Amino acid sequence: MHEVSVALSLLEGVESTAREQGIDRVAAVHVRIGALSGIVRDALAFSWDVVTAETICEGSRLRVEEIPLVVYCERCEGERAPRPGSGLLCPQCETVSPHVVRGREMQLVAMEVPE
Amino acid sequence: MKKMRVVEIAGNLMQKNDAIARRLRDRFAEQGTLVVNLLSSPGSGKTTLVERTLERLADRYAIAVLVGDQATENDARRLSRDGVEVQQITTGAECRLDAGMISAALLRWNGRRFDLLIVENVGNLICPAEYDLGEDLRAVLFSVTEGEDKPLKYPLAFNTSQVAVITKGDIAQAVGFNREAALTSIRQVNPNGRVIEVSARTGQGLDDWIGLLEERIAAKPVPVA
Repeated sequence: MHEVSVALSLLEGVESTAREQGIDRVAAVHVRIGALSGIVRDALAFSWDVVTAETICEGSRLRVEEIPLVVYCERCEGERAPRPGSGLLCPQCETVSPHVVRGREMQLVAMEVPE
Repeated sequence: MKKMRVVEIAGNLMQKNDAIARRLRDRFAEQGTLVVNLLSSPGSGKTTLVERTLERLADRYAIAVLVGDQATENDARRLSRDGVEVQQITTGAECRLDAGMISAALLRWNGRRFDLLIVENVGNLICPAEYDLGEDLRAVLFSVTEGEDKPLKYPLAFNTSQVAVITKGDIAQAVGFNREAALTSIRQVNPNGRVIEVSARTGQGLDDWIGLLEERIAAKPVPVA
């Protein structure tokens, strides 16, 4: 549901780096989105097209790297990936592992710029 | 095909919000204001819980309420009563409150000090979970009419809350609410959080909620000038 505001924040981040480096055209933007962030990929792609109209990112591709959920299980003493829909349950020992290691990301990673 | 070069951008999207939230938290610490952020789906009973809270605490504490909604000012009207400052934040397209909106609302109170600031977030369990508002206590509400597995569907909201409040307890039996299943799913995403079960209609469990707030207000005293 918040894909439009996420897209706007992405655009803001890209534009500010572009200004610093004198970049006036962006062909693609790479982002990292965690499984717990509640972002729907298609909705984000659609929002990106809408918010980038008439900006330096118009027509650019949004490349999303999805980061699966990983928790730290204290009982197994290791990082585990819970099964979808099982909350934060360790798939091996069934212990609840509330320490989220990965899966909350919403990061800008890089942009591709025509030379 | 044109050649491309790759430019790295290191940036967390939450950076800006988190920076504002940190400033808010410092300010609330200086002023000794307890801040509570209420999250839930639409219709879980946030506004009703706030009403009951105001009835019990408004004559003893300086309280302010911020109510977020995408449209209408109905909730703010519903909550307004003597001695309590209420502001509606109409978010329009945004499905949650963010730290900047809280900051702007505080300016409209000209820096006045409160013992307790209750923030009733926009009814939504996804987006508000991402946004730190500088609160001390995040409480997620969940009514007995919602699926017992709601915490598993919205793990972040439950995982980042210190308290889960199960509301509308008076109709639990009528709607076939499976309490054990609900408690299990809350524990699966937040094993250390506190669970409070209430009914705003009968008053059941409200003492636990009010008691928690009183305890936390006392732990954040008025600063000595």
